[in-house]
Amino acid sequence: MNRYALPGVVMLLAGCSGVQSPLNPAGDQALSVRGLLELMTWICGGMYLLVILLLGASLWRARMRPIPEAAPQVEPVDTGLSRGLVAWAALIFAGLTVLIAASFLVDRRLASARDREALVVRVTGHQWWWRLRYRDPATGAWIETANELHLPAGRTARIELGSADVIHSFWVPNVAGKMDVIPGRINRIDVTPRRTGWFRGQCAEFCGTQHAHMAFDVKVDRPADFDDWLASEKRPAAIPADATARRGMAIVTEGPCAACHVVRGTDAKGRAGPDLTHLGSRRSIAAGTLRLSRGALQGWIAQPQAIKPGTLMPAIALEPADADAAARYLEALR
Amino acid sequence: MTGRPVLALLVLGVLAACNAEKRVTGPTQPQTAPNGAADPRIAIRQSSFEQISQGGRYFAWYGCGRCHAQGAPGIRDLGDQHRRSVRGFDQVYRTIAGHPGISPSYANRIPTDQLWQLTAYVQSLKSLDPGRRRRQDLDQKGEARGETWSGPVR
Amino acid sequence: MTGQASPTALPDVRAPLLGTWRDAPGLRGFLTTVDHKRIAARYVLTAMAMLFLAGLLAVDMRLQLSRPEMERMGPQGFNEAFALHGSTMLFLVSVPVMEAMALWLIPLMLGQRTVAFPRLAAFSYWMYLGGVLMLWIAHALDITPDLGWFEYPPLSGPAYSPGHRADIWAQMITFSEVAALAASVNIAATILKMRPPGMTLARMPLFVWTMLVASLMTIFALPSVMLVTSMLISDRMVATHFFTPAGGGDALLFQHLFWFFGHPEVYIIFIPAIGFVSSIVETFSRRTLFGYVPMVLAVLGIGVLAFGLWVHHMFAVGLPRLGNAFYTAASMAIALPAGLQIFCWIATMWSGRPRYATPMLWVIGFIATFVIGGLSGIMTASSPLDLQLTDTYFVVAHLHYVLVGGALFPLFGAFCYWYPKATGRLMSERWGVIAFLLIVGGFNIGFFPMHLLGLEGMPRRIYTYGPDMGWGTLNLVATIGTFISAAGGLVFTANAWLSLKRGPLAGADPWGGATLEWATSSPPPVHNFDHVPVVDSIAPLWMQESDLPVMTGLRSDLREVLITSVVDAIPQYRQKSPEPSIMPLIAAIATSVLFVGSIFTPWALVWGAIPVAAALTLWFWPKRPRATDGPFGVRRS
Repeated sequence: MNRYALPGVVMLLAGCSGVQSPLNPAGDQALSVRGLLELMTWICGGMYLLVILLLGASLWRARMRPIPEAAPQVEPVDTGLSRGLVAWAALIFAGLTVLIAASFLVDRRLASARDREALVVRVTGHQWWWRLRYRDPATGAWIETANELHLPAGRTARIELGSADVIHSFWVPNVAGKMDVIPGRINRIDVTPRRTGWFRGQCAEFCGTQHAHMAFDVKVDRPADFDDWLASEKRPAAIPADATARRGMAIVTEGPCAACHVVRGTDAKGRAGPDLTHLGSRRSIAAGTLRLSRGALQGWIAQPQAIKPGTLMPAIALEPADADAAARYLEALR
Repeated sequence: MTGRPVLALLVLGVLAACNAEKRVTGPTQPQTAPNGAADPRIAIRQSSFEQISQGGRYFAWYGCGRCHAQGAPGIRDLGDQHRRSVRGFDQVYRTIAGHPGISPSYANRIPTDQLWQLTAYVQSLKSLDPGRRRRQDLDQKGEARGETWSGPVR
Repeated sequence: MTGQASPTALPDVRAPLLGTWRDAPGLRGFLTTVDHKRIAARYVLTAMAMLFLAGLLAVDMRLQLSRPEMERMGPQGFNEAFALHGSTMLFLVSVPVMEAMALWLIPLMLGQRTVAFPRLAAFSYWMYLGGVLMLWIAHALDITPDLGWFEYPPLSGPAYSPGHRADIWAQMITFSEVAALAASVNIAATILKMRPPGMTLARMPLFVWTMLVASLMTIFALPSVMLVTSMLISDRMVATHFFTPAGGGDALLFQHLFWFFGHPEVYIIFIPAIGFVSSIVETFSRRTLFGYVPMVLAVLGIGVLAFGLWVHHMFAVGLPRLGNAFYTAASMAIALPAGLQIFCWIATMWSGRPRYATPMLWVIGFIATFVIGGLSGIMTASSPLDLQLTDTYFVVAHLHYVLVGGALFPLFGAFCYWYPKATGRLMSERWGVIAFLLIVGGFNIGFFPMHLLGLEGMPRRIYTYGPDMGWGTLNLVATIGTFISAAGGLVFTANAWLSLKRGPLAGADPWGGATLEWATSSPPPVHNFDHVPVVDSIAPLWMQESDLPVMTGLRSDLREVLITSVVDAIPQYRQKSPEPSIMPLIAAIATSVLFVGSIFTPWALVWGAIPVAAALTLWFWPKRPRATDGPFGVRRS
């Protein structure tokens, strides 16, 4: 029947090499879980085939027998079937025992990444963006950024999850399973990425109008590159050389943007929105909604409701020249 | 015969209540200040639950709560006592936009749409039960307040 | 086979019974009826109308998601759609339709004239209708709740969900839960105290067992959701702090209380379907069900175990790991009784002589589909694996496979099976097969790809997704499947509608069934049976070569029913059954006013209680003399 062939074909078509997929593990936790997934698929698939075979056999058997108009059977003796029932129960029991044990063992492995040398990252979920804070190894101060998570490969990162408003869920499927972000608790998840590259995380608990656009980029770096990145994040905002960008700097740091955004080293000190100090070095804006570009920045500032309807980012009306200047400045904040 | 006006009132009441529930998303926001007390946009936005709630969030984000928190002395907490000086929507709007002692003025720092929402929120505070105001503020403890953010809700 | 022996042996009571048990004509009869069949019929039809509306929402959502970045629906519209779809399907279709089928079938299967509490049955329907109207009139007025079918705080709290949309959702639940509790109490009482003489617990048809277990589960589970939604309204309206951590509350309290109801609820939906399947398999295999005792024990086991699983909906919230492991084991353990049941059905078919009318096709479709859902459930039951699967399309696929495959397919089979009994005509077999193939085939094409989408990282409840995620093809396939299935639904409905007038006449027992409902005419007379049948085996209609033995003695000039003992169904006394009454409707209106008003002001609870008290007083005002003559009359000392 077509419902068996089609999924197989589709699985081949769609591919399993996504940047946001549990089937493409790039971290220890996701790898363990995928192993468990494979075991369960084999056992569950086997059971299903068995059920279908038995069903088919019982229906086929009936076709082979003539249908007399004899009286229906009331509570006939069923010794063979009774033994079959016991065997079936034993089979299910055995299968469940294997799965429960496997699940327990994988769970233990997920929990075993202790904080021996864990990199602590504090992630706070907001409607509808992610605030990230890293501890500066030298001073112990917190370095803040937004919407792009960098992790060193081969080292466990302990992500501490807090919420500023409602329940969200932090999920980077290629690296680990999800953990909900719940106001009133600080949940912790240990992730140990192994493979470098770009991945994608997305909020996985309905959190309001723009839940669909609350994603974040994840870059797994080699440890040396990660240290470089953290060092550059620590620096205050660059002062641009270009005159237009300097004009943009005045617009951004002294105008309406400053009420909600912080650009470290300038007068913009608002905490309600994402930190813009190194916006130009990120891959996307608006929590993974748009790829970073000057046009995207202008569009986002002028008409955020057209891109992400319901967003809490206000529409800032600027003259075209000012808008261009502001976008140039933001792009230069590397 | 007397049934019909009652029915009409009921229907109007229901429709009015439903207008208050409308969610307004999309680029159709006001771009200019209210012109006088009779501006037709005032009626809709003043009663819209969504606009009032958004105003409440910006109230926190723009740091208004530093001086105008619940329990602030006198008229400052914008609650019950504020009701005594009965002011229309456009007057409150202009007070916020040209708030005394703030430079550059809020009109230059806060976009027009958000000023509308803040005004709607401030207007609503006059008749908001203090217990409910406190309860909403509790839920918003993890939000930023101007230039300070005290971390996520623990 | 109809229990009518030669007229000289039994008194002919049909004519007086028809007069005693009939309703008033016209609208008055419609509003005052306490005939369980009429009430159940309108219950089922309303639930099917809700299924149709929820299906339209589903088609809408599937269109929006069929391609990346479609602009058919904005986030507000989509969020409203999935909230309304989920709430309608779970609160206004699945549970009510199972109760309605029970309301219709149980007295017929037990050879009784009516249910234990006829006016309560009417009240249950009016309250259910209140819930339907509350939610859908709100939708018509564009104040649809938009936070999903379980509205977690603080998102549903006063700060982040302004207005009354969340309250409308919460109060709709109160309506439907009052209706469900009323129906469950009724069904449980009928099953325990109103069985035909000789139908001991060990001779009850399996469907009756399943409805008993489902009713008892409802009574234990539903108060939890009524409580939690009332707490939510309280937080929003009178500033309590149940769910706000900064005020000393806990957001997780909502989740625990909600899922303590939510998990048993899906078994409350599935367990009656077990009963449908068992009835159909038995009749169409022409043998009594294999493994009656294991089946009953399995149903009881599922009923109890279902209350110990709820944390599997919360594996990602950060609860202690050892606790999660316990719930993993418990959630997987429930596969054992369910698996035994699958074996018993297949074994019955194996050793019987199966005939393939449409009801049997639906059973086959059920087994093939539900087992996939059960196995994907085993996968999500594992807490480490669930951390990847929960809140993705994998879970959407799982829940639809178990709810549609496990409850709706048996329901459609039950419709085909009992349609002749209810209407006196048979549905078209040919169109039934076409509908079956379209619905089951379309469903699998539509929902199987969602397993893969979940494994490719697509989260739930998103109104759109980017073109570079790679989810477009599978989503398109899913949408196509949904359309095929919807077409099948239309064919099924047309078949049911047209067969009312054009179908071949069915007679009392077109399928050769074993249970008592086939012993009366199709459709049954308003009083169901002229005389109460007496039962001495598990398959009364198959064991009696000649006519069914009956018990005489109930009065035919007054409404009377027979009350029997709980375990052995020994007749105990005769009970007067209530006349038609307008009071259930009045009481439901008064209660509705109280519920709707309490969204806007807490004083509604005070002032609204007065009309409710008045209505209930009038309803229960005693005016029924007890039977004083005959062997079961009330003895006054």
